[in-house]
Amino acid sequence: MSSFEDKLAYLTRRSFLGRSSQGLGMLALGSLMSDRAVGATDEKWRGVVQPLHHTPKAKRVIWLYMAGGMTHLETWDPKPKLAEMDGKPMPESITKGQQIAQLQGNSKLMCLGPQHPFKKWGKSGLEFSTLFPQIGEKAADDICIIRSMHTEAINHDPAHTFMNTGTMIAGRPSAGAWTLYGLGSEAEDLPGFVVLVSTGKFGQAQPIAARQWHSGFLPSKFQGVQFRSKGDAVLYVNSPGGVTVDRQRDIVNATRELNLLENNVVDDPEIATRIAQYEMAFRMQSSVPDLMDLSKEPEKTFEMYGTKGGDGSFAANCLLARRLAERGVRFIQLYHRDWDHHGVVKDHSAGTAAEVDKGVAALITDLKDRGLFEDTLIVFGTEFGRTPMAQGNGRDHHLAGFSMWLAGGGIKGGMSYGNTDDLGYFAVENKVHVNDLHATILNQLGIDHKKLTYKFQGRDFRLTDVGGEVLKPILA
Amino acid sequence: MHFGAGLSRKLDDLGAQGDWPSHPELLDWLAAEFMESGWDIKRAIKTIVMSATYQQTSVASKELMEKDPYNVWLARQGRFRLDAELVRDNALSVSGLLSTKIGGASAKPYQPPGYWAFLNFPMREWENGKGEDLYRRGLYTHWQRQYLHPSLLAFDAPPREECTADRVRSNTPLQSLVLLNDTTYVEAARVLAERAIKVSTSDDARLDWIFKQSLSRSVTPPEKAILLPLLARHRDEFTKDAAAAEELSKQGAKPADGTIPKAELAAWTSISRAVLNLHAFVVRN
Repeated sequence: MSSFEDKLAYLTRRSFLGRSSQGLGMLALGSLMSDRAVGATDEKWRGVVQPLHHTPKAKRVIWLYMAGGMTHLETWDPKPKLAEMDGKPMPESITKGQQIAQLQGNSKLMCLGPQHPFKKWGKSGLEFSTLFPQIGEKAADDICIIRSMHTEAINHDPAHTFMNTGTMIAGRPSAGAWTLYGLGSEAEDLPGFVVLVSTGKFGQAQPIAARQWHSGFLPSKFQGVQFRSKGDAVLYVNSPGGVTVDRQRDIVNATRELNLLENNVVDDPEIATRIAQYEMAFRMQSSVPDLMDLSKEPEKTFEMYGTKGGDGSFAANCLLARRLAERGVRFIQLYHRDWDHHGVVKDHSAGTAAEVDKGVAALITDLKDRGLFEDTLIVFGTEFGRTPMAQGNGRDHHLAGFSMWLAGGGIKGGMSYGNTDDLGYFAVENKVHVNDLHATILNQLGIDHKKLTYKFQGRDFRLTDVGGEVLKPILA
Repeated sequence: MHFGAGLSRKLDDLGAQGDWPSHPELLDWLAAEFMESGWDIKRAIKTIVMSATYQQTSVASKELMEKDPYNVWLARQGRFRLDAELVRDNALSVSGLLSTKIGGASAKPYQPPGYWAFLNFPMREWENGKGEDLYRRGLYTHWQRQYLHPSLLAFDAPPREECTADRVRSNTPLQSLVLLNDTTYVEAARVLAERAIKVSTSDDARLDWIFKQSLSRSVTPPEKAILLPLLARHRDEFTKDAAAAEELSKQGAKPADGTIPKAELAAWTSISRAVLNLHAFVVRN
């Protein structure tokens, strides 16, 4: 038996004895894996969910994260009633006792009508803003807009933490880390969870903390790895000055041979892992530059995405997302830090939407052309929405109702799900909690969110904690 | 810290779902000793490290491995990877760069530029420390919870957002990249090489010194057979490629020893790098 199987057998027995005495019986494999050494043993992590809990619809996730708090009222949630109320006081019955951010204590809360017209797009006639003509023309029938999202955090950082980890308490694993822990990755020489960040010209470039893709209490091998457009694409991926590829290879070879000699004496399975990780590291030193090198992309790709790449823009990151998907990366997250529109929401939402519209439409088209769209779950979302009330000529943070959309990966296209009230304040119909979103994402990947658990500080944790319902009506 | 795992393996759950201690009477005795000594931590550590159990080898017979694969019964020492801070401390220590200063403000060792690009309010840029500040123990490294120092992060240092009694110990390619390419380790290797060159004019003696300094043991003949040809090849290459030798000698803030020919220094830097990247170097045996 390999030491990994050994360890499993040991853990199985221990966990069984521990649990059956409390009448809980056997739980999912995930709970057996909570020994800290286990994460380290297998050189190629294949995931704890084996076999998958059910047939998956998606193999990977591309999460287009509109950071800063994307206004739902100028984008995905048409509110004609709010237009009628423009400039009139917001009924106190709605706002009384509600948590608001910068507008707190403002005695005159006035309605601000939607600043951009909406129209019906595609064959489905799905209604959304004219700010997204490319998505409208190329992908309206592919996307499912959820108009009834709500969250529990009113400020950016805790709201991001909530959106990524299912709780506002910092330090829990992100959805990407859970996915990697559950499924492993198909990428041979790239990390399984990759993060790309871009900045635009219209928001306030809210900070994004690395905790948003951290593995929390899961081993650090499951954390997202940020790829950067400036400097080393991945930290430490370039050899030191004066060291050519061949010289680096010499060092890696020498350590391998010396480690093998050492293993004759000590017989430590970690040595085999260490050797494999050095091989992987060396391969990454060429595979990462290869990923970032767009010189072999045809001209029409650049036209489609509207970028030559290499400029750190959101569109360039969309193109990289497609390249990462092709290489088998499991979880890809793109943050665009440009949606915090406290002022001039009319111009700024138009500006930011233009920064993302073409890249997103190109990504969907490109994935379709390559046969990758069906098994890629695309999530287009944000950490919260914005108030129907004016903050000057902008909008404040809003947690009670906002919009996201999903596409590909077994999601019904050309539909909307859930609704906010007439003024776009509260999610009222088919309300969707962040836990429900996470449950649905895991479900599409073949994971039962209730069975993917990890024991920490004396209890079993899961991404959805004690909540989460799969959104069955939006599944194809 | 002393064996790689506690007598009770779960440190963060002392309840019914935790792990029953393997040696309850020993644990009781150690706890009582600690209490009665007036909570004297130094004394407790001394008691443990002077025990016969602590002083065992970590090399186990096949039979022992089969009987006790997880070393619950402590018939051998544990083998485990050093904690994040200590991986770096160890490299700095063997090269002679480590500052042993105690206390004071946080230090800022090398960090790749632009790592904080997505922090805001205000925008910040990490500035590497100067002089001794670059070589303080990892314990003193500035702790930015939102963007923990990437080399600490790679070796499982927690971001301090949850109370973490028990760190995981993973073994990842990012760790290999840190040890191969982070300026800290390249500089440590170069300084270690400078010292080795000064020890003797003989290649054998220099190599042996590097092993004793880094791994507390002599180099073996099969190891020499791997490293001496590498030394010869890189000596030759760096002699022909003087620019590369020059560039490698400039890694890190500490200026290279000008009395040593650059090609010689570069070739020995390769040898030191190979040794500092060994599994045995980051693992407590």
